[in-house]
Amino acid sequence: MNQETAPIAITMGDPCGIGPEIVAKTLAREAPTSRTVVIGSARVMENAVRQLGLDLGVRTVAELGVVSSEPGVLAVWETSDLVDLPFRGQVSAAGGKAAYDAIVEAIKLAKAGSVSGIVTAPINKAALAAAGVKYPGHTEMLAEFGGAERVAMMLANDEIRTVLVTIHCSLKDAIARADYPAQMSAIRLAHEGALALGIDRPRVAVAGLNPHAGEGGLFGQEEIEVISPAISAARDEGIDATGPWPGDTVFMQARQGRFDVVVAQYHDQGLIPVKYMGLEKGVNITLGLPFVRTSPDHGTAFDIAGEGIADAASLETALEYAERLIAAKRRLFKAKDKSAQTEEAKKWA
Amino acid sequence: MKPVIALVQGDAAGIGPELLAKLLAHDEVRDAANILVISDPGVFAMGCRTAQTDPALHMISDYGHADFSLGRPNLLDVTQCLGTSALDLAEITAGEVSTKAGRTVLEGFGLALDLAKERQIDGLCFLPFNKQAMHQAGLGTEDELQWAKARLGYDGRASEFNVIDGMWNARVTSHVPLREVADRLSVDGIVASIELAHQTLRVAGFERPRIAVAALNPHAGDGGAIGREEIEIIRPAVERAKKQQIACEGPFPSDTLYIKVRDGRYDCALSMYHDQGQIAIKLLGFEMGVSVHGGLPLPITTPAHGTAFDIAGLNRANVEPVRRAFLMAVEMAANRRADSA
Repeated sequence: MNQETAPIAITMGDPCGIGPEIVAKTLAREAPTSRTVVIGSARVMENAVRQLGLDLGVRTVAELGVVSSEPGVLAVWETSDLVDLPFRGQVSAAGGKAAYDAIVEAIKLAKAGSVSGIVTAPINKAALAAAGVKYPGHTEMLAEFGGAERVAMMLANDEIRTVLVTIHCSLKDAIARADYPAQMSAIRLAHEGALALGIDRPRVAVAGLNPHAGEGGLFGQEEIEVISPAISAARDEGIDATGPWPGDTVFMQARQGRFDVVVAQYHDQGLIPVKYMGLEKGVNITLGLPFVRTSPDHGTAFDIAGEGIADAASLETALEYAERLIAAKRRLFKAKDKSAQTEEAKKWA
Repeated sequence: MKPVIALVQGDAAGIGPELLAKLLAHDEVRDAANILVISDPGVFAMGCRTAQTDPALHMISDYGHADFSLGRPNLLDVTQCLGTSALDLAEITAGEVSTKAGRTVLEGFGLALDLAKERQIDGLCFLPFNKQAMHQAGLGTEDELQWAKARLGYDGRASEFNVIDGMWNARVTSHVPLREVADRLSVDGIVASIELAHQTLRVAGFERPRIAVAALNPHAGDGGAIGREEIEIIRPAVERAKKQQIACEGPFPSDTLYIKVRDGRYDCALSMYHDQGQIAIKLLGFEMGVSVHGGLPLPITTPAHGTAFDIAGLNRANVEPVRRAFLMAVEMAANRRADSA
């Protein structure tokens, strides 16, 4: 099967969280714009559809090529035949296992080109641990099974895009880990990620680490010793990188349209503005993988799981971004094909 | 009686003089307090020309001659009062850093602080200063807050608060390298910061201010998995402050904390480091914000924006942030007097 016809995979997430519910809500939209297949358990999805009272049929598929885009049908590629559904809102080994199996399968399908990209619903760290899974989250599994040398997270909403140099570690560790190779990797991935979103010649702003970006060394040396040299090296590679800019104004400037993507040094530096600008519109994009992967910017919300009140907006945005990234990728391939043909034609002319 | 509020002239090369003239043209402002403008009259007149306004004032050369019964702001002539020479306006270019302009600022600000020390004024609001000009003129301290503390002979805890649309933000550490922040956090220090926020917001009119304390690490340390400062330092500090009947909670993950404060669930955020709070504050609209120096013997406020050298002298500056800063000083001064009465 080729990329042109492959559906987008949506993993159901932890069955005890809001994942199945928001997946069902997203796919119940009146006019599906792309073909999708849910990876996980048909029973879990049937249960979610029934509880929400949605007019949606759940159909198990045995072949991805036959997945259609007819409205009212939710196609499931089964990875778990859960008989007893685990309790909603609770950490369970069964839930962790089912969530894990779906992700591993989705990665396998994406690498084989059987699906055109992956959108993942939220999983629970404690449930994964209870199931004996050694990976704490999606990022680690994607890095392990996805076949990527370097992976980074881009957070995006309508107004701001940011790539983090360091992610889930203490602030102290973040400072230690934000070294020159980490800067280079984040800047390059920010550049590539923005290109993948269809932005020509992206303007990459790199945030400083210290107040006022160190104020010329007065409030810290990292800008001078680490970040500025990385920016220069990236510019030498042809990336339009600038900075280091003070962390407290760079996002405002990006929002005003001065930059296309901001490289943030640590988790909260990037997450404060992204969440502030609109939690429901936030989406995660994993950069560096050989396939497209997006996810909503929230967790399993065990406290409201099964109540039918979970907001699917972020998952819907994640799906929209996946569609956009896949379309941009196809355009890129076609352009390459065309230029290859032109080169070929020139030879014979 | 209305509180006496000193309005201190800002840097002559910036938008301060223009804003001062615009501010005094508001009846609401003129009626709110007994206003003592502390300025070089030549600079003040220049601001009036730029703003094309001519507010009626009572000119004095010594505070002993102040008379608020006329219903007009008094203008205390800094140069006559101190016996210094007036700023030669021919030497000042709008939008250019000037050591002489910095010196005039320090003279006026210093005079206001001396009057505060003698308890002649109840509150102080200053127009934007230029940091570089002040440093060149011999400020000699990290910033104007430290300078004010020294001039007032006050060595207690004081801190800058940022206020925008009713959202307050204070911080435990400020202009220090990020790698030093974790080591600078202590239970005592955070409790003291919470207390200072509590007191300052009470002076600003909050009966029982609700304070949200930020975590240091992402996800508030995820139960100790990615950082232990929340468990070992911040939470114990919050608990201790709670025992003192202060309405504080936390530590909260900082990527959602400011949303809670913005949406009115808390009145004040207490940030652990500079950028944590400033990122949110600036996204909310820093240019309309007010800076409050809390903890000092008198409230000192100023608009959060700077001297805006790019539009100085063009009559394009928006007076709204200064108006907010002035009214904040009035409110805090009035509340403080009511408290001590």
